[in-house]
Amino acid sequence: MNRESQKIDFSFVLASSVHDMKNSLGMLLNTLAEVMEQYPPQNTEHAKSYGVLEYEAARINSELIQLLSLYRLDHDEVRVHIEECMVVDVLSEQVARNHGLLQTRSLNLVLQCDDSLSGYFDSDLVGGVINNVLVNCTRYSKQKLILSAQQTNEGLCISIEDDGPGYPQDMLNASTFAEAHTSFANGRPHLGLMFANKVALMHRNKSQQGFIRLTNDSSLGGGCFKLYLP
Amino acid sequence: MSDNSYAKLQALIVDDFESFRITLSKMLQELGIGTVDSVSSSNDALRFCNSKVYDVILCDQNLGKGKTGQQILEVLRHQPSPNSDSLFVLVSAESNKSIIMAAYDYEPDAYLTKPITGQALGQRLDRLFKQRMALAPIYKALKEKDVDSAIQLCEAEIAAGNRYTGSCQKMLGRLLLQVGNVEKAEALYRNILDVRQLDWAMLGMAQTKKMQGDSLSAQQWLEEIIQFNPLCLKAYDVLAEIMVERGDSQGQQKILQKAVDISPLSILRQQELGDVSFKNNDLLGAANAYRKAVKIGENSCHDNIKFHESFAHAGIRLAKLDKNLASTVVRDALKVIAEIPHRFGKTNSVRMNALLLESQLCVASGEERRAEEALQNAQKIIEADTSAVTLDTRIELVRTLRELGNKTESDKIIAELLSEYEGDETQLQKIDCLLDEPCSAKNKALVAQINKDGIAFYEAKDFSRAADCFTSALQDFPQHIGLRLNLVQALMGHVKAEPDKTTVVTAMQQTMAYIRKIIPDNHAQFRRFRQLEELLRGIIVSSKLAN
Repeated sequence: MNRESQKIDFSFVLASSVHDMKNSLGMLLNTLAEVMEQYPPQNTEHAKSYGVLEYEAARINSELIQLLSLYRLDHDEVRVHIEECMVVDVLSEQVARNHGLLQTRSLNLVLQCDDSLSGYFDSDLVGGVINNVLVNCTRYSKQKLILSAQQTNEGLCISIEDDGPGYPQDMLNASTFAEAHTSFANGRPHLGLMFANKVALMHRNKSQQGFIRLTNDSSLGGGCFKLYLP
Repeated sequence: MSDNSYAKLQALIVDDFESFRITLSKMLQELGIGTVDSVSSSNDALRFCNSKVYDVILCDQNLGKGKTGQQILEVLRHQPSPNSDSLFVLVSAESNKSIIMAAYDYEPDAYLTKPITGQALGQRLDRLFKQRMALAPIYKALKEKDVDSAIQLCEAEIAAGNRYTGSCQKMLGRLLLQVGNVEKAEALYRNILDVRQLDWAMLGMAQTKKMQGDSLSAQQWLEEIIQFNPLCLKAYDVLAEIMVERGDSQGQQKILQKAVDISPLSILRQQELGDVSFKNNDLLGAANAYRKAVKIGENSCHDNIKFHESFAHAGIRLAKLDKNLASTVVRDALKVIAEIPHRFGKTNSVRMNALLLESQLCVASGEERRAEEALQNAQKIIEADTSAVTLDTRIELVRTLRELGNKTESDKIIAELLSEYEGDETQLQKIDCLLDEPCSAKNKALVAQINKDGIAFYEAKDFSRAADCFTSALQDFPQHIGLRLNLVQALMGHVKAEPDKTTVVTAMQQTMAYIRKIIPDNHAQFRRFRQLEELLRGIIVSSKLAN
């Protein structure tokens, strides 16, 4: 065997590990759902523990998607694949993915999106971003979440609003930078934001480019994440 | 959709993990689907699909052994199957579908990423069944090959402006190109592209331009798509088609090479790349492509014995030019040839062809005794079962006899063939590959034309195109001494213009060595051959002096 062939192809290792981890994670989530169905929580402590299990599993999943996507984007293996999508389909798919988690945490998610609203974007990447933000919100929200989408002058706008304590100042600062790597040089690396920002920037139409906005002016009183896609 | 309509549905789950099959099956039953079958392997999946019609097939991409999910889909859609239009949902842990999709020509109806939850699955199936119902008249028209009605239905659906507009536009464009209505197709694609640069519409526009005969615009569109989305392999395919139309086989090879570099798993492209590389006399390139085609073929419905044999031919030809370079190819080809009877059936005709190729490969690897043995074994089968002997086998027999230096016997068979097939133009065209001068009318005209083109390039001092011209013709008529001498002369012109090109000198030496082996002393062009040999010697001496 020569030296070349002994070198590990990290992309391959990463992809196959993620594949296995997702299989395990799928089993974990489904078994957990079964257990919860067979043994409904007896008290709030109990319900809380179930909630933690579900949340952490969902978080691992969204981190995995993000990890692989970021790696691939950085190595130029993936370009955005822009197609016409029905926005309500992409949004409700992410809600369905997190159905159990929302239920256990007794969060009421309201989906506000016109059935006929369509957009042009990469549904895998955008779905990944929404999933990420949703999972994050389930941790901080108290009762209610609004996931909405509408057409604006700056393109399609997808927003996720919560009634939690709002985003911390360093995150709000980070999100206003256009370029991901300059904004994450100091302080905590908000990988999720970096991912969202990268995905937004990859969406272009003619002279317009996508972007994200993070504010604390949610109609529910908490944080508000907006993704604009031209 | 209401529960009782789900009750009549039949679903198939394909996954190699038992726990996953059980979970998925439970989810489908909870959704109210009446019958749910599960299998763990691609073989079982195809067996079930042959005997039963499923409304929906949920199939994992990575099934461990055997075919992948995509390859199962390929079989269902490519070959006649009771499930050729069942809903096919590909399941994978890969969150970016373009990576998996890139290699294949058939798209699944949907794509689900693991982990799957019951809610998400229910939602997706609901949407798929609704779409199926809404567009049922179009699918019906397509199945009945009633393209005109399908076009009208698509147009009506687009005019209604609903969530199916996008898929109907895609379908309509394809159908318009299919019936050759390029004006309408162009208008459709232009309308879409005015709003948004979508790659499928750009591709459609390129195809439209190509059909209008404007290959330059088509090429521009395609290059733009590739720049925008290098994974859009269909764009490379259309670009390669344009190169074929232009007769630019070097260009065709380059494009196909790029496409297989991106996506090595596409068997059809590897096969095509092998053929065009062979034609361009890039025998090592051809061997590499054929090797991959044979390997992928193990699990593909596009596998074909032809490419296994072509792999051997590439090795045999390469050995004539450079034994060292050919040694790995020859060794691998011997293995591939040994596998042929297991893969394509142990019939006499398969066996004798394999033995003849084995014999020639053994000559290439210097195993004369084994070569003789293989030939004898082949001849035994040929004598025992004359009805299985085809013209192709006899051509292969002639080649083998020649390799082993049995000129008397090979000349005898050629004489037999020529008298047997006298007046049979199609068969004579096949025999031409064994002859110095073609005997069929078509190939006579072809060689005359190639000579004319090549000489025109030569006179215009475009020596490399002249050489390409003769080289590609020689792949079809390897025994043609006149063409080969013309090639030497073109190469000689090239060396005189660019004396530093050592590769050209090598090519010249190889070509001369080939002629030396096949030219009879009484050949009409023997004197020209001797003169060229003298000139070549002079060039080699002077290039050595220069170094």
